[in-house]
Amino acid sequence: MLSVSNLHVAVGGTEILKGLSLEIPAGEVHAVMGPNGAGKSTLSYTLAGRQGYEVTSGSASLNGEDLLAMAANERAAKGLFLSFQYPLEIPGVPSLTFIRTALNAQRKARGEDEIGAPAFLKLAREQAAKLKIEFDMLKRPLNVGFSGGEKKRMEIFQMAMLSPQFLILDETDSGLDIDALRIVSEGVNALRSPERGMLVITHYQRLLDYIKPDRVHVLAGGKIVASGGPELALELEDTGYDRFAQAAA
Amino acid sequence: MAAVKQTIDQVEQLEAYEHGFVTDIAQDFAPKGLSEDIVRFISAKKQEPDWMLQWRLEAYARWLAMDAPDWAKVSFPKIDFQDLYYYAAPSQKAGPMSLDEVDPELLKTYAKLGIPLREQEVLAGVQGAPRYAVDAVFDSVSVVTTFKNELAEVGVIFCSFSEAVREHPDLIKRYLGTVVPTTDNYYACLNSAVFSDGSFVYVPPGVRCPMELSTYFRINAQNTGQFERTLIIADKGAYVSYLEGCTAPQRDENQLHAAVVELVVLDDAEIKYSTVQNWYPGDAEGKGGIYNFVTKRADCRGDRSKVSWTQVETGSAVTWKYPSCILRGDDSVGEFYSIAITNGHQQADTGTKMIHLGKNTRSRIISKGISAGKSSNTYRGLVSAHAKATGTRNFTQCDSLLIGKASGAHTVPYIEARNASSKFEHEATTTRLSDDQLFYVMQRGLSQEEAVQLLVNGFVREVLQELPMEFAVEAQKLVAISLEGSVG
Amino acid sequence: MSVSEALKSRDASLLPSRRDEAWRYTDLRAAVRTIPEPSPLGTVPAAPGPFAAIKADRALVIINGRGPEVLSLDTGQVLCVELRLVADSHATSHQSDLRIDLASGAHLTLLESHEGRGAAYLSSANLIVHLAEGASLERVVILDEPSDAVSVITADITLSPGASLKQTVLTRGASRQRFETQVTHPGGGASVRLDGVYMLADKCHTDLTTIVTHVGPGGTTDQLTKGAVRDASRAVFQGQIQVQPGADQTDARMGHHALILSDRAEIDAKPELEIFADDVSCAHGNTVGALDEDALFYICSRGVPLDQARAMLVQAFGLEVIGRIETEAVREVAQAWLAEVGAGGSDGL
Repeated sequence: MLSVSNLHVAVGGTEILKGLSLEIPAGEVHAVMGPNGAGKSTLSYTLAGRQGYEVTSGSASLNGEDLLAMAANERAAKGLFLSFQYPLEIPGVPSLTFIRTALNAQRKARGEDEIGAPAFLKLAREQAAKLKIEFDMLKRPLNVGFSGGEKKRMEIFQMAMLSPQFLILDETDSGLDIDALRIVSEGVNALRSPERGMLVITHYQRLLDYIKPDRVHVLAGGKIVASGGPELALELEDTGYDRFAQAAA
Repeated sequence: MAAVKQTIDQVEQLEAYEHGFVTDIAQDFAPKGLSEDIVRFISAKKQEPDWMLQWRLEAYARWLAMDAPDWAKVSFPKIDFQDLYYYAAPSQKAGPMSLDEVDPELLKTYAKLGIPLREQEVLAGVQGAPRYAVDAVFDSVSVVTTFKNELAEVGVIFCSFSEAVREHPDLIKRYLGTVVPTTDNYYACLNSAVFSDGSFVYVPPGVRCPMELSTYFRINAQNTGQFERTLIIADKGAYVSYLEGCTAPQRDENQLHAAVVELVVLDDAEIKYSTVQNWYPGDAEGKGGIYNFVTKRADCRGDRSKVSWTQVETGSAVTWKYPSCILRGDDSVGEFYSIAITNGHQQADTGTKMIHLGKNTRSRIISKGISAGKSSNTYRGLVSAHAKATGTRNFTQCDSLLIGKASGAHTVPYIEARNASSKFEHEATTTRLSDDQLFYVMQRGLSQEEAVQLLVNGFVREVLQELPMEFAVEAQKLVAISLEGSVG
Repeated sequence: MSVSEALKSRDASLLPSRRDEAWRYTDLRAAVRTIPEPSPLGTVPAAPGPFAAIKADRALVIINGRGPEVLSLDTGQVLCVELRLVADSHATSHQSDLRIDLASGAHLTLLESHEGRGAAYLSSANLIVHLAEGASLERVVILDEPSDAVSVITADITLSPGASLKQTVLTRGASRQRFETQVTHPGGGASVRLDGVYMLADKCHTDLTTIVTHVGPGGTTDQLTKGAVRDASRAVFQGQIQVQPGADQTDARMGHHALILSDRAEIDAKPELEIFADDVSCAHGNTVGALDEDALFYICSRGVPLDQARAMLVQAFGLEVIGRIETEAVREVAQAWLAEVGAGGSDGL
């Protein structure tokens, strides 16, 4: 599934990722934890193909295909989905219109037929109900005027609708209260399957109580400095990141 | 970011103008140049009564003493008014025209213009065609008018201006020049002297016009000044929706278009006036293209009257246009919804005036400007409340979107409040297409071009929604074409 | 057309009129038929200026156009200067010119007052200010002029990269009064804050005009002007933000919010954006309206008389601007000014 090898990434001339390697097989959920400034968001943006994140060396592939050679939308069509830490507001574009446009663009890129309106609406109603999203909210412009929690639920809703192969959750827990966190986590867990991989990026262990990872990696100073089972996350909660930050320096 | 860069490139490669062709119809010209004799020639050609001629002559005398306005943020070579033709009519057999008699060249032209199929059917007189009354102005003379009888049944008059001068002189005498006085401005004054033709609509008291009225304007002859005159009167409690769409064939020399549109709205009446303007904007170097200097004004004379202007302006080399509302009647309402897109070397200085004179009058202005290429796009607007116009409200939202380093976006609002119970709110923003939004949309699977299109459509959506459905679809296409050039 | 030229040549026809776009709401030619005689030598007023409570490092006094012509600060110098421009003049005219230079890293707190001790005068004051790299100027201006005076104050301020300008002007107007600030903004981390508060009554007029020209990338401008007009007074706000080609990453905000408290009063606003670069974020907001009736009722229902409730709300309205003054002692002077001026007026306020 996702394979990242010795990835070096610079932003504005400053190297942020300094030789990061990561293997996430299909069916597994990996968490990447790390202190502020460790390069967590850089990792998610680089994988999703944001401009301004310059890969100076190393590689990243999804199912053997070179991600780095593709534009952001091509990566999306290959099944890569990034749940943004700060989802953007898109004025004037109703959420449903947006998702349907995206879904059909992806299907077209994959040589599949476009989804018809009735099938799309049926699917949207089902998924919205699961995520406790009022259907009327889907007619409003995407994320405009939504609360932090609503925006995150909308990210998960899009995820469910677009049904990606590989999911990156970037600080999905930030700005969520306990109830919202539970709903969002249930949505994510519903998508766990033997065919899907998931990368959960978080600062806090809290999210991992809800989304149980198979593996936990510690990102510090631009590379993975420790890897282990779920117990590593609990250990971090007790000891903090200091010793890893020192190890990375 | 690269996406924006690429969009700029695309925008810079202006697509060859789709409507760039010349229809070969024998022209019936007045001699070149402007003089009192030409004014007399036009009036005689149109078999006008003497009072109409005198009105024209007086306007011409006034115009000679006026100077061209220079305050707009537009620049263009000085117009040589002696180097233009002031009258050109497609030669047709005399007498009332049936569709069979219409020059097949003309019908072909409509097809090339991309007039929606349904409306072509209307023009072609197909049985069961949708109910649009189309008054097509080909160059200067109204050629086809349909659904006249059906409209006549409810008392609605919809005809060419020339016909109205002959058939309904009392209405013309009563209302012509009462909204836009002859001397209102340089171009309106010129129009008053030499106006060629246009549309006239009268909706009698209490009548809701049973169909959308639409007209297509097109400039066809070389060096032909186009001076339409439109007058729409909604009598007490009447309602009418009027659609105006424009295209023009490709030209090397600039063409002047100086129309005047007057709307009169009496008690409890409403006029909805929608425009899609797609005239030739000039070539990639900015050569050629239409000069569009239009005076459009509505007089909400009656209490509780309402006017709504909606415009999608994508064409012309230079646009100078401020559809305005005089809110004279108490509780009257004025609205202005505008999308103005400039690309290439286009210049647009457009906006509105909301003059609040009556009590509890309300106005709303939503303006969306998009500047691309090397163009210049200015919103200019006035909102004023007279001391006696107590309880007035205005809301203005004025947003500009920038695509391309060499373009300019300007916002020049004037706000004048003269009483203690008025409430005016004005907001304006100027931003460029956001990299963050583009990336977010592309992450969901849309290509760069699709992402730009989606964001731009989102940006203008609030205004598109104000257009009648058929127009909205056409306008959305036009937005994409005007902006993206080769994006498709 | 300029006031200086008109004064110099004593030719009233050179005064700007409403036919000049930049003066459409402040017609000086209609207000001044002939240029008055030149002002005589004046005397230093006995009364202290409005900033007397603040211990300034230096006090400069310009009377009837006569006084110091240059103020310079050396590299890194920090100074607080009280600048009083006094019109000790009756139906006469004069002009003051002052040049202020701030060397790199210098910081000037300028406490500027325009004090009209006479009547019916015509005065013009022009400041030319230059800020070198990293220099900063905090300029707080109180305009205290008689209601029959005609006064035009201009400042032409040029910033270097990294410089900072923070300006607040407080005024209650005059017969015709124009306070114009032109800023050349280089970007490059330089920042500009231009604020104003007007509180007008009777037949007073004031015109706050700003033109900020961003000529280089990466500049910020933040403007907030608020005010109230009572009786037959008239306030004008003209704010123009220009972004020239290449001045990308400009972030400019402008707000003007006004209260009209009488049907004879008038507000004219022209907030203008002129943008020639694409990577910018500019916005302006403008509101004009009456006092919030609900808030008035709420305060009255607690036992406060209507007049007092109104005065309270008017002051609260202006307070937001004054809260942006950084130096506490200066802010207190501004608050006191607002309390005094905000309570007046003959419409029962």
